[in-house]
Parts: sequence; structure tokens; C-alpha cells
Amino acid sequence: MSAKDVAHHVITYRNVFILLLICTGLTVGAAYVDFNVPKSMAGALFVGLTIAIFKGYLVAGNFMHLKTEKKIIHYILFLTVFFLFVLLAVPVLWHIDLVK
Amino acid sequence: MEIPYNVEVREDTGVYNSKLGIWLFLASEVMLFGGLFSAFILLRTGAPVWPPIGVNGSILPLLEHTIPHATFNTIVLIASSVTMVMAWVALKTKDLGKFKIYLGSTILCAIIFLVVKYFEYTHKIHEGFVPAHDTFMAIYFTITGLHGLHIIGGIIVLAYFFGPGIKMWDTEPERFTNRIEIVGLYWHFVDLVWIFLFPSLYLLN
Repeated sequence: MSAKDVAHHVITYRNVFILLLICTGLTVGAAYVDFNVPKSMAGALFVGLTIAIFKGYLVAGNFMHLKTEKKIIHYILFLTVFFLFVLLAVPVLWHIDLVK
Repeated sequence: MEIPYNVEVREDTGVYNSKLGIWLFLASEVMLFGGLFSAFILLRTGAPVWPPIGVNGSILPLLEHTIPHATFNTIVLIASSVTMVMAWVALKTKDLGKFKIYLGSTILCAIIFLVVKYFEYTHKIHEGFVPAHDTFMAIYFTITGLHGLHIIGGIIVLAYFFGPGIKMWDTEPERFTNRIEIVGLYWHFVDLVWIFLFPSLYLLN
């Protein structure tokens, strides 16, 4: 790794760290905001989890180097995320009486 | 017999073997935590009141009281991810001194996280909010407990590379650098899980 590469990496990690801290502040702030959805946390849930997904993207893309990773790793993760969504959808299906 | 492709890249996969191995392991970990998240959603959508009210009342006031601790822990884990990746960069630049500083900082952050968690757990248990209190407390202790076990596992592996495992740097520096990259991937995953646990369990109730 050349000195130029190292400097570039360090700047990226620093910027991602600052972004993650800002996002953490936004997540905490969003929990206290009234999103005008009567008797529901739906607005805060949507905003909070959207920020969490963005933070996850920052960590996986930069710290875990997914942005520059080989195709086979992307294929593995694509399959994993697909089955994760199936898993997360099970309670929703249950709730609308499709699985019961 | 030596294990092949520890350092050199396999032609068919394009990565060295342990990197493929850790990503497959992390995929299984995604499903493990995903299953618990699925249970959390099921319990939450099925409950008339969330968090449920048990014999000691609702956990909500106590949960709001612990938001600063959980926020602090989030920052600590994010910082540990940065120091972890910087430890890998230090090895890439062949600076063992900096590597030790960054890896040591990562271990310190992990210990701080567990200490804060200990105080958080004891406070909740002292107030009677044990796993048997209600379904929220049950899933809260299950998920955060499993995450805590992952932190402990990470500390053991990181401490090994900080201590006896560092000897490999003298004989096989590239292989050692790859090992740090692999443990780093695991550590970032532990951080990633917390990023989702924090709003789900502490903020959005």
C-alpha cells in the first residue's frame, strides 16, 4: 500500500467516522420528534431505521471494504440479504393471517 | 500439510480462503440475528401495548433513563471500528508500533462497552425488570446478551493477536495482516448489529 493510498484511506475512515457520529445524533433526535402519525411510532420507526440502514451501508462499504470487494462476496451477501428479508417478512405474513 | 491460500488469492474465487470463510460465517450470523429480529417484530406487532406492562409497571421510564448510556456505547463501538480498521492500515504500512496502539484502543473500547452494559443490566435487574418480567425484557436480554457474547468473543480473539498471536508478524507478516483483516470484518459486523439494536430496543418504543 503506497503512502498516497494510506492517506486516502485514513481520510475516508475519518470522514465516515464523523458521518456515523452525526447519524447517531440524528437517530437519537428522531426518536423525540413528533412525525404527526396519530398514536403511532411509524414515522419515528421509518426515520430511525432508514438512518440505521445508511449507517450500516457506511460501515459495510468502507470499514468492511465491500465497495471494492470481489463479486463472490457480493453474491454471498445478496443471497443472505434475500433470505433475511424472507425471515423478517414472516411476522408480517403472520400478522395478516397468511402463515397461520 | 500447510493450509493453502492463506496469503495468495485463489483463481476461482478471487479472494484468499479465510476471507471467503469469514464472509460465509458472517452470512450465518446475519441469519442468527435476523431470526431474533424477526421474533422481536412478531412480539411487537402482536402486543396490544409496547413495551408490555408487567408487575413492576412499564420499562419505558427506565429505558429513557438509559438512552444516554446506550448512545455513549454506540459512539464507543463506532470508535472501536475506526481503531480496528486503522490497526489493519498500520500493518499494511508495516508500522507495528501503531498497530499495537490501535488494536489496544479497540480492546479498550470493547471493555468500556461491556462495563457500561454491566451497569445497565444490573440497574434493570435491581428494579425488577428481569427477562421473565415481560416479552420486551425477554427479547431485550436475549438479543443484547447474544451481542454481548459476541463482544466477549471478539475481545478474546483481539487479545490473542495483541499478545501471543503477534509473533506471526516476524515470520509471516502478510498472513498476519490477513488475520487482522478477518478479525476486523467480524468486529465491524458486531458494530453493525449494534447500529440496528440501538434504535430498535432503546429509542423506538
